[in-house]
Amino acid sequence: MKPRTEISNESAKFVLNAYRPNGADAQDPVFRAALEQATRDPELAAWFKEQRSFDSLIVAKLAEFQPPATLYSAILAGIANRSPDLRFTIRPLLALAAVLVVSGGILFSLLMEGVSSSKMIEQYQTANLTMLNSAPAPDLDLVTANFSRTQQYLAEMKAPCIPFLPEALRNLPTVGCKTLHWNGQKFSLTCFRLPSGELLHVFVIDNRVFHSINVEDQFKEMAGWHFKCERIAGMLVMFVSRASVAEIGKYI
Amino acid sequence: MSHKLDLEAVVGRFYASLYRFALSLTKNEAEANDLTQQTFFILAQRSHQIRDTSKVKCWLFTTLRREFLRALRIQSSHPHVEFRPEVHDAPSISADALRALDARAVIDALDHVEPTYRTAVELFYLSELSYKEIAHSLDIPIGTVMSRLSRGKEQLKAILAAAISENSDKIIPLKKDETAH
Repeated sequence: MKPRTEISNESAKFVLNAYRPNGADAQDPVFRAALEQATRDPELAAWFKEQRSFDSLIVAKLAEFQPPATLYSAILAGIANRSPDLRFTIRPLLALAAVLVVSGGILFSLLMEGVSSSKMIEQYQTANLTMLNSAPAPDLDLVTANFSRTQQYLAEMKAPCIPFLPEALRNLPTVGCKTLHWNGQKFSLTCFRLPSGELLHVFVIDNRVFHSINVEDQFKEMAGWHFKCERIAGMLVMFVSRASVAEIGKYI
Repeated sequence: MSHKLDLEAVVGRFYASLYRFALSLTKNEAEANDLTQQTFFILAQRSHQIRDTSKVKCWLFTTLRREFLRALRIQSSHPHVEFRPEVHDAPSISADALRALDARAVIDALDHVEPTYRTAVELFYLSELSYKEIAHSLDIPIGTVMSRLSRGKEQLKAILAAAISENSDKIIPLKKDETAH
């Protein structure tokens, strides 16, 4: 006499497809009826055996992909080096709103008061520092330790890339990059990790925005930030960091 | 279970499986590398918000997928369409034929499973999350997870069977030497 079954084989197969090949679901009551059915019905038992074998082989095949040897240490180093005051974390809209408020205010003042060109660059610098100071800080569009990938991303987004990079800076790991807008002009931010753990932010904007302005290439200090601007290959490059001027100077 | 996260232990335990999941999503080793790192950075930033440490694994896979989708939206200006084979019946595949298959072929086969079913299947094989955790991760009912696993696995078998058949067709028999009479 055929043993009485509580569920059909098709129903049992449907449920058992979710049974993990490592056996971690053995105690889950959802599978109980289907597993009992498999002990009673040879056809279902054969199907389940084949299915588990298939699942185990797929898991084993996929496990052949090994992560890069440096990934584990890179993750730990990245976590350890993240200084809590400069994390690019959550709620980008809030931070972006802060930038827009600052930028809007600047645009308004430009239109209404006809500020001088030198004021314009000061306001650009202030807008960038305000953004870096905003809490929470904005998300980066791309998080990567690979400098080439940041510039590739910026190029894809039609944002200005860093036109020239000193060898010392090229060897630093990046944290990531972001595209931004100031006064209707797209510009970019690329962040590097200095050996001290501080970040070095590099803003790049088309030089034509500030075409008639003399740029002082001396470091300035504002609210704990050290910054300076340079004209490089048609771009205005602004370097900003909380690191000491001596440390920044080694890389730019 | 609720206590402070040991980040180093969490990284050590999950980084390899997260990397594989990232690789299956991105199909690119450099992007998988970045995505895995980014996921752990987000964990480090928000670790104080995680009250139940037993759910870290599910959180990591959910976050990685969300970050992948976020990046995908940024790149959506360059969409591409792929042909995906119609699947009728799940054929039986011999274990030996499957063992002989290259691991890359398996991940390629996963990529050809219909998107509706693919993520559930990828999470099943690459994360070893339970069906309940997959449901939580994808924000879908448990029954839907089972349905997607059932259909998705059928498709995966059919695609793999086709790949195995294609491989065997490539074996060219040696020609007889007609000059050696």
